[in-house]
Amino acid sequence: MHRGLATIVTFVAAMAAAASLAAAQESGRPRVIAGCPTTDNLAFHTCALQKAKTFNPPRTASGRPNLQGYWRGRLTQAFSVEGVPADDPLIKDPIMPWVAAPPEVIEPADGRIPYQPWAAALGRRGVNFKEYIDPRTTCSTAGIPRLALQDAGQILQPPTEDHILWLHDDHHQFRAIAMGQRPAVGRDVKAWNGLSRGRWDGNTLVVETANLNGYTWLDDSGNFYTDTARLTERLTMIDPDTIHYEVTLEDPTVYTRPWRLAWALVREKEPGFELIEEACREGERSLGRLREQGARFYFGVPWRFR
Amino acid sequence: MRHGFSSSILVAALLISAPRAGIAQAPAIPRMPDGRPNLQGIWQVLNTAAWDLQDHSARLGVPAGQGVVDGTEIPYQPWAVKRKQENFAARATADPETKGYLPGVPRIMYTPFPFQIFQTPTHVAMTFEYAQGVRIIYTNGTPHPEGPIEWWLGDSRGRWDGDTLVVDVVHFTDQTWLDRAGNFHSEALHLVERYTMTGPDHITYEVTVEDPKVFTRPWKMTMLLYRRKEPNVRLLEYVPGLLMEEEQGELERRKTN
Repeated sequence: MHRGLATIVTFVAAMAAAASLAAAQESGRPRVIAGCPTTDNLAFHTCALQKAKTFNPPRTASGRPNLQGYWRGRLTQAFSVEGVPADDPLIKDPIMPWVAAPPEVIEPADGRIPYQPWAAALGRRGVNFKEYIDPRTTCSTAGIPRLALQDAGQILQPPTEDHILWLHDDHHQFRAIAMGQRPAVGRDVKAWNGLSRGRWDGNTLVVETANLNGYTWLDDSGNFYTDTARLTERLTMIDPDTIHYEVTLEDPTVYTRPWRLAWALVREKEPGFELIEEACREGERSLGRLREQGARFYFGVPWRFR
Repeated sequence: MRHGFSSSILVAALLISAPRAGIAQAPAIPRMPDGRPNLQGIWQVLNTAAWDLQDHSARLGVPAGQGVVDGTEIPYQPWAVKRKQENFAARATADPETKGYLPGVPRIMYTPFPFQIFQTPTHVAMTFEYAQGVRIIYTNGTPHPEGPIEWWLGDSRGRWDGDTLVVDVVHFTDQTWLDRAGNFHSEALHLVERYTMTGPDHITYEVTVEDPKVFTRPWKMTMLLYRRKEPNVRLLEYVPGLLMEEEQGELERRKTN
């Protein structure tokens, strides 16, 4: 069952992810971004933090860093945030070959997610990968931060400075980042992309997200968090066309300590580029077959049914 | 006595209303730094257009409502009258809404769920609680991309006509309906929407519906959008397709465990 399932899952993933293949192809990894080395994401991250100290970003009328425009994830692939070793058997997969890549994890330094033992058996191409449907295949959001590594996104900053809107090609996802102090939202209100609040820390946009429903995965390998996760993203321009993107993941249910991912968002400069509508459910044909093969929706009891 | 009483009321009314007349004619509306009306915020209709665009009595689960169609009648071509009736009869399963699809435009504007408007000098973006829908309305002078393109929420290009945002929408599919009563259109649908703030908390929404394959002439709907003013209001999430997946997953989990 697993072998057949894996093939179909891979095939469906190939169909569903055709548009994001460019982002998944590490072979196109640039040697330098914004003057920073890209040998691994930690090297880029360390250099980018230095650049951020001196770079004076373009600004909005009210003096905030102007992050507006179209952006694509770089130094990313969606196979595994822990990277793909050169001897990984899936690199030779005849249907959807994976590509060797360094980890997107920059902390801990070994590039491994600090899972609690029970969770390590689920993520990291474990039970999730073998027995459960990648939630993105249900036409959901890719989730945070996976949205930021697949396909193109657009940031809009209304001059009223009360919200920042981050739009994504992927399954017409959006994130309304409410700036400043807002009334807290009760923990029983959950959403696929959670609810986000933002603030400026100098030239860095800091986005804190909770109220996640915990269904989404971090990558194709089934790495995950649950509905108790809290995410803190930091977006900092390090040259006119590059944002240093960093996210800290905390989830006492799953991890032994907070950990971090980092990569680059690079400006999409193709003339006339616009986001397009990527309807998904409206043309979805493969979920029924996946279910017939025995793939299931979520490993545990979803928060809603507890 | 009677005459004198009326006169004093009249005088009092004049005294009260005269200085305010100017304000009543042009209520203040919020504006962006560039002087355009500021349409931003969370909005929602308070009508029954989602169930039926036209006058209708209550049915079980359907609130009674007065229509939003100017002139009451929708000018269907003869074949389309029949199709609308068939749609109505089969609505429990034939309505694309029951499959959890994106509901199309203008239907997404009058779902009984809130939506949020964001505005920059070059974009007006609308994000919807229903189905994670997004409309990006370009106000940067760019034209529609060349068709044929079939998008569930169409392609929207806007311009300002004084204080009114005018949005031209084309490139639709024929897979969406206009309401739960089976009113429908083809992929040749062309909309012209007009968003006019009539005060800080109200937008008059007018939409002209043109579809030469289905209707004999263009027709118009008019309704009000109301600002959601609860201090803690936020756009949450109602994605019917994913809720269906979740229910299905839970059924399977209970079966296997």
